[in-house]
Amino acid sequence: MIFDYNQEALKNLKIEDTAKLDRLVDYRSAREAHLKKDHSQRDKRMSLHEAVAEYVSDGDIWCDSSFSYVRSALQGWWEIIRQGKKGLQAIGSPNTNQTYGVLYGTVAYTHASYTGAEMRGIDKMFSRNLKNGKVKILSDWSHGLMAQGFKAAQLGMPGCFSKQGLGSDIINHNPYLKVMQNPMSKDNDPVVFVPALFPDIVIIHVNAADKFGNARFYGPAVNDIATAAASRKVIITAEEIVSNYDIRYHAKGAQIPFNNVDAVVELPFGAAPGYMPNEYYWMRYFWEKFFSYANGSDELCQEFFDEFIMGTKNVDELIEKVGGIEWIKKSRRRARAAEGNNETDGVSFVYKIWENGMDTKDID
Amino acid sequence: MTNDKPMNPLEMLAFILSKQIEDHEVIYIGTGLPMVAAILAKKTHAPNITFVYESGGQDPENLEMPWSVGGPMTWRKSPIIMEMSYSFGQAACGMVDKGFLGFAQIDMYGNANTHQIGPEFTNPKVRLTGSGGNNDVSSLVDKLIYVGLQDPTKFIQKVDFITSPGWLEGGDSRKKAGLLNDGPVAVITSAGVYDFEPDTKRMRIKTLHPGVSPELAQLASGFELIRPEGEIPVTERPSKEVLEILRNEVDPSGLFISLPS
Repeated sequence: MIFDYNQEALKNLKIEDTAKLDRLVDYRSAREAHLKKDHSQRDKRMSLHEAVAEYVSDGDIWCDSSFSYVRSALQGWWEIIRQGKKGLQAIGSPNTNQTYGVLYGTVAYTHASYTGAEMRGIDKMFSRNLKNGKVKILSDWSHGLMAQGFKAAQLGMPGCFSKQGLGSDIINHNPYLKVMQNPMSKDNDPVVFVPALFPDIVIIHVNAADKFGNARFYGPAVNDIATAAASRKVIITAEEIVSNYDIRYHAKGAQIPFNNVDAVVELPFGAAPGYMPNEYYWMRYFWEKFFSYANGSDELCQEFFDEFIMGTKNVDELIEKVGGIEWIKKSRRRARAAEGNNETDGVSFVYKIWENGMDTKDID
Repeated sequence: MTNDKPMNPLEMLAFILSKQIEDHEVIYIGTGLPMVAAILAKKTHAPNITFVYESGGQDPENLEMPWSVGGPMTWRKSPIIMEMSYSFGQAACGMVDKGFLGFAQIDMYGNANTHQIGPEFTNPKVRLTGSGGNNDVSSLVDKLIYVGLQDPTKFIQKVDFITSPGWLEGGDSRKKAGLLNDGPVAVITSAGVYDFEPDTKRMRIKTLHPGVSPELAQLASGFELIRPEGEIPVTERPSKEVLEILRNEVDPSGLFISLPS
């Protein structure tokens, strides 16, 4: 397919070679990739290391999952970084977690929607890395526009028409978006055409999955149901593996069907240091130390992430760093209380700002 | 936090913002002051409002201030949690009454920027967060209200990037652009409350906070603020009771209503 990009956007983004833009919107190649897959219900269980080695390739369009640091597949992402994958295009809505990959050169390009720490402020590390050329923006999005792109892909539409983005500078900084006349209206009625979006790889962390890949999760889906359908390759990491029977008879059902899935990884605490619905609270020691200590300088960021990402082989080692079994007990209680499934007496949601010398006991 | 402390500008902002909310409305909530204001409204004059979040949680049972828009406090015992596309979709379909947004920069037509400081996209002075849900909320809710601190670098002649469309170039330019809704109805800052002139769509003083003169408000703006006819009303202050609720129940740890350092 030959794609018709928004020329003004290409100019504003300083993109000369559009070849690397194609795969994200190539719905025919995505369909081919899905057709070629083995569609059988078979045992897809493997280790995280194997799954990432097999299914993540240099240059892939990697899709962030869930919402920033809530049920996002952070351990899967850190494994991608540890295995030294390079040249990825990061996409996601929000796209918070790309920042670790930008630091390590895992991510070279981004389809930007949001990178930051919500009420804790902007991601200064990402801003610095953007300015010094470590990452290049290939397209700029709002959350809703990107969500529509993923949804169009899930629903088998080459694209959809949106009323978001009109009048903004997002349109002229996104090669994939164009303002057009609504074909159904004789009055002047501008709409934005949003093409269906097809990442290459998404890792999604869930509460439970069976060995075929049927997956169940609690809390917000965000874009995971859509990206599981759209992406050419899907790895599920799960707090626990359950039987197919459990999936069938559980009141919640499955939100992701086995046919989307390539690999299933049993990975308790796979969302750590993030929050996992029904399971564990944020690892405050990690986040507080990052915001108060590291965010301000390149050197401190490097030191911090070398310690936590490169310095841990797997999530077991991360848990040891933040308090081991004590963290697990406190964290589970806090999560269950936060969700209204436990008494709240004795449970504190107040966090302390990290100061030099504080250790895990002080902050949690 | 002692209740004898004088009210600070952020608390005033939270209170005024909360007054924009009418009971029984559906409100799109983002992080920060908008959340404080909405929770304050719910605990005071608008106990029956419905919160919706872009992470999809709807009408959660309130407990504590959410740390993240995706965190458990935004979907605690929610009857339904929507996918992101559905969450914005329901705003497009006319189900959401009001939304509140912050801004890094805003111009005289209410166009707002959360993308970058500095005009060059590929090499800004600072890259901010990007749109997130800002563009979507500003394009879809029935009534949009901005809230933030005011100084001449934020109230700026021309924003470095239009993240969220306001009244665009004034007049009927927003209608012509094809947006479903109107531009912002109010901008609430540390100096006063602003609305937009009906024809030109330029930002206009509506009320000024106690102690703030029109000259002071103008000093804190990089563009000319329209003054209304006649005497400019003084913004209503929160009562002692409301201030106590704000300090003790809504944001007891002062996460948002402590002055930034």
